Amino acid sequence: MKVELFYSPGCSQCAVVREDLKATAERTVAGIEWRELSVLEDLDYAVELGVLSLPAIAVDGELLFSSLPTPHQLRDALIRRSTTRN
Amino acid sequence: MLKIGKLAALVDVSIDTLRYYEREGLIEPVDRSESGYRVYDKESARRIHFIKQAQHCGFTLAEIRELLVLRGREKACCGDVRSRAIEKKLQIEHKIRVMRAMSKALDQLIVECADEAQPVKECTIIAALERATVLMPAPGHES
Repeated sequence: MKVELFYSPGCSQCAVVREDLKATAERTVAGIEWRELSVLEDLDYAVELGVLSLPAIAVDGELLFSSLPTPHQLRDALIRRSTTRN
Repeated sequence: MLKIGKLAALVDVSIDTLRYYEREGLIEPVDRSESGYRVYDKESARRIHFIKQAQHCGFTLAEIRELLVLRGREKACCGDVRSRAIEKKLQIEHKIRVMRAMSKALDQLIVECADEAQPVKECTIIAALERATVLMPAPGHES
């Protein structure tokens, strides 16, 4: 499973919480791939996924959160997704 | 000090537009003249230039209101404005994609409608639009 966090460079909100979210994702799904993408460097990809506001999180190429979730919300979404996949 | 007509001429917008900006809370008169007319100053003109420029960049009036608040807030930093500009760019790029998809769909319809002499009841473009799915862009996640 691949989690992609789109952020705007210089976003102080992102910097504070993304470590928490990353740790949550890694605890929830073994071997999860975590990527952090600056929207300015990956603009086309962000637009392709439908990212319209920042920060945003996509899982396996599907936009799941258009604002930062709490670690609990992310954990629940990842669990639901891995259940669906299995 | 400027009355609304002078201000409108100075910033090249109509008086109605200025009244609309005022109703939307984007500008306000600095004072009233003795005869009760609203009066504005040069900062009002600068503010209206700002509003027009932001509209030109695609910002809605609600977003411009936020930018104006940031503009006047001492603790705000350029990063706050930049984030909004980046989000606006994302929205514009998204719209461009949708418009491109629509343009392609129209190309297809134009090619399919090769017989210009056909009666309108048999027009393939009208028929395709009535099917209502041809021009619909792929659903995007906009929550």
